[in-house]
Amino acid sequence: VLHIARPIHTSQQCLAPLPPLPEKGGEVRHGLIPEEFFQFLYPKTGVTGPYMLGTGLLLYFLSKEIYVINHETVAAACILSVIIYGIKKYGADVAAFADKLNEEKVAKALSVKNDAIKELETAIEQEKKEQWRVEGRSYLFDAKRNNIAMLLEANYRERLLTVYNEVKKRLDYQVAMQNLKRQKEQDHMIQWVEKNVVQSITPQQQKESIAKCILDLKALSKSAQVAV
Amino acid sequence: MAGRRAALKAIDWAAFAERVPAAQRAMFNALKTRSDALSARLAALPEKPPAIDWAYYKAAVAKAGMVDEFQKKFSALKVPEPVDTQSAKIDAQEQEAAKTTAEYVQASKARIAQYENQLKKLRSMIPFEQMTFEDLNEAFPETKLDKEKYPYWPHKPIAEL
Repeated sequence: VLHIARPIHTSQQCLAPLPPLPEKGGEVRHGLIPEEFFQFLYPKTGVTGPYMLGTGLLLYFLSKEIYVINHETVAAACILSVIIYGIKKYGADVAAFADKLNEEKVAKALSVKNDAIKELETAIEQEKKEQWRVEGRSYLFDAKRNNIAMLLEANYRERLLTVYNEVKKRLDYQVAMQNLKRQKEQDHMIQWVEKNVVQSITPQQQKESIAKCILDLKALSKSAQVAV
Repeated sequence: MAGRRAALKAIDWAAFAERVPAAQRAMFNALKTRSDALSARLAALPEKPPAIDWAYYKAAVAKAGMVDEFQKKFSALKVPEPVDTQSAKIDAQEQEAAKTTAEYVQASKARIAQYENQLKKLRSMIPFEQMTFEDLNEAFPETKLDKEKYPYWPHKPIAEL
């Protein structure tokens, strides 16, 4: 990313929030020299300009002994080479790890926010549902009134039925009493008649009737023998 | 006779059951069983008792005038209708219920408005990647570090790190 001049609050009293900062820093060549330097020299000296400048400067410092080569040079060379090797090999992994840590933090915060949003939405739905439920209260009172009406009606009918049953019971009792009395009188009369008849049979009549019965039986047995 | 047959309103028990919250289901079931028992009892009873056959009894009963007396008294008898004592209470209950429901609905609406406000605030937040710590403290006041109570870093008890 090449940095161009960011226009920040150029006019008066701008209350809008700033645009977010860029994610990555400016581009550099060889890890040290910003790209803008090369672009700055390009119109005059072309692509090789900065490199020529660098080489010339280095040779000048070395030949004029403005920079003296001594043991620290060797130390610097070794240290720098180790560092650069380390960065080149493991740099990307370390960067990814650090990014992951940051990502986790942000993801946690995001999940908290999303959970809060979801909870609020469900809460709103619940409230609306409760309001809908409450609207159905008329059912309850209709049911109660129905119960009362049914109870009253059932009681009234039961009373009518009781009256009818009682009256019928009494009438039936009268009729039954009469029938019973009639029957008892009849039975008694029959018994009395029978008793008198049996009493009036004299011993003489009994002997005659028995003899007649025996004669009848003999005649019957004769006819029965013939039939067999 | 006019007040006797108060029309029984057809109740949609299914729709009623939908609106009952889980906490009050036992009460609803009790009410339903009671209603069903009452309607069964009502259906079992005949609307009018069968008519008494006066001619037969007049011929059968020997005692003179007894049947006529019974008949006269029977037709003159007026069975009193049961008095309705509870309807007024039901109406009073209904009024009260209307009032409490109005209050409840109002409170519920206030709560909904509150939730909607919070929801709006949450939805219109800038993404976390672009927030500074100041912005975070504004959006979620509970993340603000209390520098008076805990003047030394990390400005919160170690257990909460």
